[in-house]
Amino acid sequence: MAEEKQAKSIDQATLEMLAKASEEGISTAFERAEKMKPCPIGADGSCCKNCAMGPCRIPLAKGKQETPEEHAKRVGVCGATAETVAARNFVRMIAAGSASHGDHGRRVVEAFKLMAEGKTKDFEIKDEQKLLKLALDLGVEIGNRSNNEIALDIAKICEKEFGKQEGELIFIKNAPLKRQEIWRKLGVVPRGIDREIVELMHRTHMGVDQDYKNLMLQGTKAALADGWGGSMISTEIQDCMFGTPTPTLSEINLGVLKEDHVNIIVHGHEPALAEMLAVETQDPELINYARSKGAKGLQLVGMCCTANEVMMRHGVPIGGNYLQQELAIITGAVEAMVVDVQCIMQGLQEVARCFHTKLIATDNRSKITGAEYMAFDEHQPRESAKAIIRAAIDNYPNRAASKVRIPKVKTPLIAGFSHETINYLLGGLFRASYRPLNDNIINGRIRGLAGVVGCNNARTTHDSAHVLMIKELLKNDVLVLSTGCAAMAAAKVGLMVPEAAKEFCGPGLAEVCETVGIPPVLHMGACIDNSRILIAATAVVKDGGLGDDISDLPAAGAAPEWMSEKAIAIGQYFVASGVYTVFGTTWPTTGSKEFTEYLFEGMEEMYGGKWAFEPDPVKAAQLMIAHIDKKRKALGIDKARERVLYDMAMRRELEG
Amino acid sequence: MAYKTVKKDAPGRGKVDILAETYESGRPEGEGAGKWRQKLESRDEKMKYLQTGERYWYSDDWFGSEKRKKPA
Repeated sequence: MAEEKQAKSIDQATLEMLAKASEEGISTAFERAEKMKPCPIGADGSCCKNCAMGPCRIPLAKGKQETPEEHAKRVGVCGATAETVAARNFVRMIAAGSASHGDHGRRVVEAFKLMAEGKTKDFEIKDEQKLLKLALDLGVEIGNRSNNEIALDIAKICEKEFGKQEGELIFIKNAPLKRQEIWRKLGVVPRGIDREIVELMHRTHMGVDQDYKNLMLQGTKAALADGWGGSMISTEIQDCMFGTPTPTLSEINLGVLKEDHVNIIVHGHEPALAEMLAVETQDPELINYARSKGAKGLQLVGMCCTANEVMMRHGVPIGGNYLQQELAIITGAVEAMVVDVQCIMQGLQEVARCFHTKLIATDNRSKITGAEYMAFDEHQPRESAKAIIRAAIDNYPNRAASKVRIPKVKTPLIAGFSHETINYLLGGLFRASYRPLNDNIINGRIRGLAGVVGCNNARTTHDSAHVLMIKELLKNDVLVLSTGCAAMAAAKVGLMVPEAAKEFCGPGLAEVCETVGIPPVLHMGACIDNSRILIAATAVVKDGGLGDDISDLPAAGAAPEWMSEKAIAIGQYFVASGVYTVFGTTWPTTGSKEFTEYLFEGMEEMYGGKWAFEPDPVKAAQLMIAHIDKKRKALGIDKARERVLYDMAMRRELEG
Repeated sequence: MAYKTVKKDAPGRGKVDILAETYESGRPEGEGAGKWRQKLESRDEKMKYLQTGERYWYSDDWFGSEKRKKPA
């Protein structure tokens, strides 16, 4: 029987643009993934290319049980076992993921410091309260000092977090107390962000660490240096400079592009440039300039995680998630795609060459052959943004009307559910609290919490796993917190508006969402903002009644369409924080059963959280629900108990 | 922010001032909709909110479920 062809996407706009790409003979990631199958040895983590005696390929034979003798023969030239090879590959993914978030954080701190020193006039403290919160976290004196004086001290301390050689990362102390004890006991509290990543790379060099458990201890340190370090620093400083997200209404999908406007797409991860573009695209002088070229105005559209950043803070519409980046250009209506770092496909340049679109790289760490380079200067961010916008406007007359086709598909969404906003929404200014959430988890209206995050992956039907998983969770009264491209997938099918609760949720969750007025899937930001989920989970613990650690909570995490190394780093910091974490699509350590079993079972004894792999999103959701139920049982809240108001007769009966 | 108060009868104490509603009336519209953090204006208000709203981290009087004799 012929193998059934997998659908490319569940999203109408995506399918429409893929059809256009096919008509016009344009290559996309979808088509390339179909033509080129993944390397089966690399996919299992069974290829070691850490020295020039290799690459050594030691694949596990499929479809039969391996004997101990066969297993013993599966070693590299140096004698590295399948366990060591799989573990080295896995922790190198953690190192790369943590480095990415860490370097993002470093750039944000650098811009923050420039602002505090008065060396850039275009950035300012937008959220003084977050500044004060950080001052308390970091032990910075507040008194009557100016915001910039406080900010400068904060910047200096955060800067040191990257290069610190000993002690503990400061934000570790934001975790539940019991969690901190677990980390200290296991010796996995990160000393400094860079140090843990460098040590991890050293340990995976030829001839160093050859014990997969020991490798994973350092892998965990590097991952925690991401979640409770680089990522958390990024989120907090970004909130200070650009504002802590609050509920914001916007729209998502390729239909947000406007046929009669100059369309500028900002794509990548770091929000400084996007913030300035959001401000400058409102400049009347630039709007008039666009009109002088025949356009009706300027339309800024976000793509990938940068989109999440500017949408949550400015309501800038989102063009789409990771797998839609090439498709946005294929609409023929994009004058400029402005990119910075992470998740930017090199294929964009080839697609842009088929149209008038300018691909503009802005970061010296991420140049693209053939693309125009216009440096984003953090000393003069406004001028940089203006220059980029002008270049886009100048390109508008080059647009060929015959090549333009914008799918008429877009969906409204409400985002901006930072930890601070959830806390406020549940209690207001006077009683800000997670208490109502905890009470509703305890009484069973909400069965549990799930974090569904992560990328898209061209090896699986675009958006499908995200949406199927989230719908299954909602149906079972599980409140979903989401970030990154997963959040965008949910938004595109209408799960991020309050009215979705009635249609998609079980009765308990629907009732809570209706009462509070929130969507059943809470958009918490970009992938860097998974640190917000850590803080939200900690807030649930601290509010009480659901155990005294994250691992006690009826909660689980998932990345059903993961793709990047950052996802592995995120997964590991969630597991090490006590969360049961299910990944879909593929699993990169199956070349070693022993190491995989350690990740899937052994980790639970250490951290209370563990990994799981399940490519079927509905089955994966059921695994998460089963875990949530297990935790509910352990907490003694597995049976729903409605509160009963006792009248005097009932009281007398009790006393009797 | 300025808080509204209303007068109510209190048994044995006559009319007393109590805190009135703190929500904004009507349907929020425009750019300011949902921007709750701007409601806190002075630094003192913001510090006070941190000690109450984020009490488990920033108040010495609250530990939530983690109250323990010895700090971790």
